Parts: sequence; C-alpha cells; structure tokens
Amino acid sequence: MPLEPFKTSQSLTLGVELELQLVNLTDFDLAAASPDMLHLLGRTDFPGNVTPEVTESMIEINTDIHTNHTELSAQLQHIRDILVLAGDKLNVGVCGGGAHPFQKWFERKIFPKPRFKEVSALYGYLSKQFTVFGQHVHIGCRSGDEALFLLHSLNRYIPHFIALSASSPYYQGVDTLFNSARLNSVFAFPLSGRAPLILNWAEFERHYFAKMEHTGVVKSMKDFYWDIRPKPEYGTIELRVCDTPLTVERAAALACYLQALCRHLLSRAEAPPAEDDYLVYNYNRFQACRFGLDGTLVHPKSHETLLLREDILTTLRHIEPHAEALGSLVALEHLYQVIDEGNDASYLRRKYADVGSLEGVVDAALNRFRGA
Amino acid sequence: MPDFPLPIHPDLAWPFALALAWIIGEFAHRLIRIPRISSYGIVGFLLATGQSGFLPQSHGGPVMLLANIAFGLILFELGYRINLRWLRTNPWLGVTSLIESSATFSVVYLVALWFDMPFISSLLLSSLAMATSPAAVLRVVNEQRSSGQVTERILHLSAFNCVLAVFTFKVVVGLWVFQSTGDILHALWNSLIVLLVSASFGGLFGVAVPGLLARIGNTGRDATVAFAIAVIILVALTHTLMFSPVPAALAFGLMARHRRVAFSQAQQNFGALGNLLTVLLFVFMAATLEWQMVKDGFWLALALMAARFAAKTVGVVAFARVSGITWRKGFLTGMALTPLSAFVILLLEQTRHLGIGLMDQLTVLAATTLLLEVIGPIATQWALVWAKEVHNIRDN
Repeated sequence: MPLEPFKTSQSLTLGVELELQLVNLTDFDLAAASPDMLHLLGRTDFPGNVTPEVTESMIEINTDIHTNHTELSAQLQHIRDILVLAGDKLNVGVCGGGAHPFQKWFERKIFPKPRFKEVSALYGYLSKQFTVFGQHVHIGCRSGDEALFLLHSLNRYIPHFIALSASSPYYQGVDTLFNSARLNSVFAFPLSGRAPLILNWAEFERHYFAKMEHTGVVKSMKDFYWDIRPKPEYGTIELRVCDTPLTVERAAALACYLQALCRHLLSRAEAPPAEDDYLVYNYNRFQACRFGLDGTLVHPKSHETLLLREDILTTLRHIEPHAEALGSLVALEHLYQVIDEGNDASYLRRKYADVGSLEGVVDAALNRFRGA
Repeated sequence: MPDFPLPIHPDLAWPFALALAWIIGEFAHRLIRIPRISSYGIVGFLLATGQSGFLPQSHGGPVMLLANIAFGLILFELGYRINLRWLRTNPWLGVTSLIESSATFSVVYLVALWFDMPFISSLLLSSLAMATSPAAVLRVVNEQRSSGQVTERILHLSAFNCVLAVFTFKVVVGLWVFQSTGDILHALWNSLIVLLVSASFGGLFGVAVPGLLARIGNTGRDATVAFAIAVIILVALTHTLMFSPVPAALAFGLMARHRRVAFSQAQQNFGALGNLLTVLLFVFMAATLEWQMVKDGFWLALALMAARFAAKTVGVVAFARVSGITWRKGFLTGMALTPLSAFVILLLEQTRHLGIGLMDQLTVLAATTLLLEVIGPIATQWALVWAKEVHNIRDN
C-alpha cells in the first residue's frame, strides 16, 4: 500500500497522546484492567479519545487538536479527572511514569486485538517488555516538506525532551541508574532510531518508503519506531521520545515547549539540518537517558561540549518570544521549575529514599497523578 | 461402606492422604482443568472415616489445629487484599454486598422452611449460606492468576459476606441462647460485641506486627514468617477466649494492608507454606463429612444450592451496571460466588453453646458442603475464564 498523501494541517497546532499505567492497589503491580476501564469510560462523555494499548495494563488517551497551552492543559486535566474517577469506581490505580518500577514483563497479558496479537507473535518477548509508557506529541504541518524539515531540525533538541520528561529510573525491580530506562526498551526494536535525512516529501515517498515497502519489512508508517516520525494521515510530525510524565501538567508543558521550538525553527534562524548532525545523535540521546538533566551534549554543528541543563535553559530563554506569541509562557515557567527541582526520575528516587520500597514509589506516582 | 482393605497406621494416614490429594489435584488440573482444591475435597471425602476409613477419626487434635491455621492465613491474605476505600468511592459495591447477602439469607431460609426444618436450624443454615468460601475464591484466583473486575469483586464480596455471615450466625446463636428470655436486643448486642472485640484483636495485631518488623528493620522475605506466626497466635487466642477468629484474621490483614509493609509477589499466599496447608485444609474439610449425612440431605442441598445461586447472581447482577461493570461481568461475579465454606466457619466458630441436637439438624450442610466444595471452585474458575480475566500463557 503506497504511503498516503500528506494531509495539510494548520501549522503549529498540537495534540498529545499519553500511555498510562493501570495499577493494582493491593500490591501496586500492573493490573490487567484496561477492558474494564474501557467499558466504563465508554459509558462516559470522554473528552478526546481513549484506546487500548498492546498489553492490558496500559491505556492510551489522546487530546483533541489544540492551538495553545490553556486549552490543551484544561483538556488534559479534564481527562485526568475522568480517569481518576473511573479508577476509583473500579479500584484501579491510574498513573504516569515511563515504566512500572517492578512489573515482570512475562506476566503481562496482550490485549485481544488482531494487530497486537501479530506484533506479539513477531516480536516475542520484546512486545511484552515493551510495556513502557510514553508521551507522544503531534505538531501540525502545512506540508510534507515542512514536516521533514522540522523533523530533522529537531534532532539536536531530542535530548531536551528525554531529560525533561524522564520518569523511568526503575525497571524490573532495580534502579537502572538511567533517568529514562524506557527508551532502552524502544531501542531494541529493529526499526527504531532516526529517520533517514530526506527533506523532500515526494523523494521520501518514492526513494525511501516505497523501497522499504518493497523489501517487505514495513507496511505502513506505523512500523517505524523512530524518535520522531511523520504522520501523513494527520498531517503532523510525532515526537515519541518522552516518557509519560507523572502529571498531565508536565505533559502539557512539554508539548508547548515543542510547539514554541517548532515556531522558532520555522523562522529558519538556524542552519539547516545536515547528515553530519547525526554523528553525535546517539551519544547525546544516551547522555539524556542516562544522566537526565545532568548529562552533557556535543553540539552537532560546533562540536562544543554543553551541559544539558544549561542548553535547555538557554533554549528556553531563546524561544520565549515564540512562547509568548503562542500564549504558552506558563509552559516555559513550568519547565524552568523542572530544571530547578529536578525531573520526575529524581522525584521518584527521592520517594524511594523516603519510603524504602518500590511499592511506595508507585503509591507516590499514583498520588502525584491525581494532583493530590 | 467397607473398611479400608489394608490396616494403615493412624500416624501414616494423613501424610499419605496429603500426598494422594496433591498428586490427584495436579493430574486433574492438568488433564481436565479442574481446580486443585476440588480434587482435594473429593479425595478427602473418599478417604474419610465414614467412607473408606483410610483416615482416622480426628475431631480436634493437631490436624484440626493446622486446618484452622490454614484458614486463618487465607483470611489474613484476603483481608490484605481488601481496599475499604473502595466502599466509599463506589458505594454500590456495599449495596451489592448487603443485597446479595440478605437475599441469600432470605431465600435459603424459605427453602429450609419448605423442607420442614425447625426454626432455629433454618436460621443457622441461612446465615451460614450467606458466606462465600474465601479459601476457595482466593485459591482459584491465585491458581488462575486472574485480574480484573470479577476477580476484585469476588474477593471483596466474599470478605464482606463472610463477616455478615458470622455476624448473623452469632445473632441467631444468641437468639437461641436467649430464647427463654426472648431478648433479641441482647442477642444483637452480644454478637456485635463479640465481632467488635474480635476485630480489634486483629486490628491490634495489624498495628503491632508491622511495628515490630519496622523496629527490627525487616521488610524483606522474613515478613512472611512473622505474619504467619502472628496469624497462628491470633487464631489460637481468639479461639481460646471464645471470640471469633474470622473477623480477627480479616481485620489483621486489613490493618496490615493499611500499615503497608508491602508483600512481594513470592510471599503472596504465604508461598509454599500456604500451598501445603491448603491441601490439608481442603482434605480435612471434606473428611469431616459422612456419606449417610450427604445422602440424607441431598435433595434439600440441591434446592439450597439452586436458591443460593439464584439469590447471589440476581443480587450482584441487579447492581452491575450502576456499579460500573457490564451485565455479563455482573452475572459472572455472582456465579463466581458459588463456593460455600459453612463447615469451616462452623468449626472455627466453635458452637460450644449449641446443643448436639441442633447440630444434627444441620446435616443438610454436609451434602451442601460436599457439592459446593467440588462444584463451587469449578464455577468460580469458569466464571473467571469466561470473564477473560485469567492469565493464560497459551493465549499469548
């Protein structure tokens, strides 16, 4: 099936998808509760959308298309309140976080839907190990060319999003020493990583996608697990590196950071993306996953070494005019605070130090999600 | 029935009975997917003194003590899984529990009267019929590693209806004891006091044991042993002081949950210790039954089972939608509540006040218990399977 034409969207519109954890309130392990939750939520007037994910202990929500922080944030909070209420009714905990701290992947149940069963058959244990929870942000683009330009221009900022959202320090019962252990699960997939540097949509379609399709390796864009990928049917690019934060407020702030950044990039004030930018890409990404805000980066153009924290601060200040134009200064305020207080991964580590058990860490994540 | 063909030394009988029950349990589970505890029940019944005579007569004694402990451990674990906050966030759960319990009581009472059972016996029978066997429910849930609304609800509903059953049972006993004076209020009051004092025993343990563990700085694996020992003491204590071990062990679990010394996966069920004692518990329960009693009470038992099933199912289904689940899951929840644990409660709640005559009138329980001990877990298992809540590796 050829790649569908790139649908034109209003530039810089945005939408958010969050994969959330469903937790058993007795032992704080993941609970196969999504069929029951989906049934109950199906009876409510749910804002946005809610869908099953590959294992039954995950649920995915997505917002409508928005243009600014106020709307997006309000809708995410509304969705959060409905989820919490439904969870209360069914004795199921709902929380964020990029990975469950101690779930055992072999105990997960695959949601009974043909695509999930196929994925499970193909990837075996990877698909259950893929019980990790990410935030995806969509940014509307006017054309495929614009999408590809943004997608590649963002390469240098990917570590920002990893470090700011990181919320999966614990995985399979141990402290991984990573800020985002989740991304290590994503990298295990053969089609993960970066998109090839092609900046023209027609060329991307003919010279890359069609060839890949011909090899039989992929059938649709869905088969690529890239860090950012174009989504022609929505007319968006989709950023996929963020862990689901512990709060929806942070999810909204991250999305609006991306939006403001894209506005800045579209002003073409920076040098255009080049293949050599990707020389340092994996290294920078690793630094962000491993050390979070304390990581160091190598600038892809100048090759100077930067502290990730400093680089984010500089960028935040730099894009303030764009955020102001988009009405999302509040989002930047939120992120300044993250730089100041540490990301969700360090919050969870502090909780572990307080309570001394991973069950306690999950409990803290549950309470934080509720906004309590 | 004929005596067992070979003379077996009484000290050897129990170990061999356990081995046999375990082996048959494993085979039946693998070959025809029958819950293990159903097989334990059948083996226990066949080996009992009254039937093949393989097992020695054992009323009281160490085996009964072990069975009591096994039941105590199960109640503790059940209590640990109960989230009282759920009653507040979903009041319909509480309503469901009250309605299904009282409907069961009323329907069973009517059936008993229809079969010309005496007044007090009918009341006792009805109160015992309210309870869903926590042991059976928990064992099947663990065996199937199920998770979902049917699972959560049967755990909560069985804990609640057990407490309600013990309470009602105490009231009826009180009523009988005070019948001469006709003082119902006194009976109510007495039962309530027994229940409250027993529960506070458990609550006290629930504060003290985690406190002690925290003091020792021990939140690891040994917590299992500490909790097991505490349950043993609690059961023995409440039993000796003529209070009620059921609410005590439940309250202990509940309190321990809210004091959160978290259990790890391996310690659920009290691990191997729990599994071992379960074999003993289910063999023992069925071994107390006699063929003659079962035969005599058969038809009444069948009627009771049907009535009880209907009452529980209708009671749960009625509030299914409003409490947040589908009609279908409501029906399956009701169906999963089938297992009955009357005899354990009866044994635990040592009806020392009860005259022998009264006990004899309850022979119908023998048949009901036997039927439900075998059929009950099967019903629970299939309800969970049909609700698609079991963890089946082959499906994945």
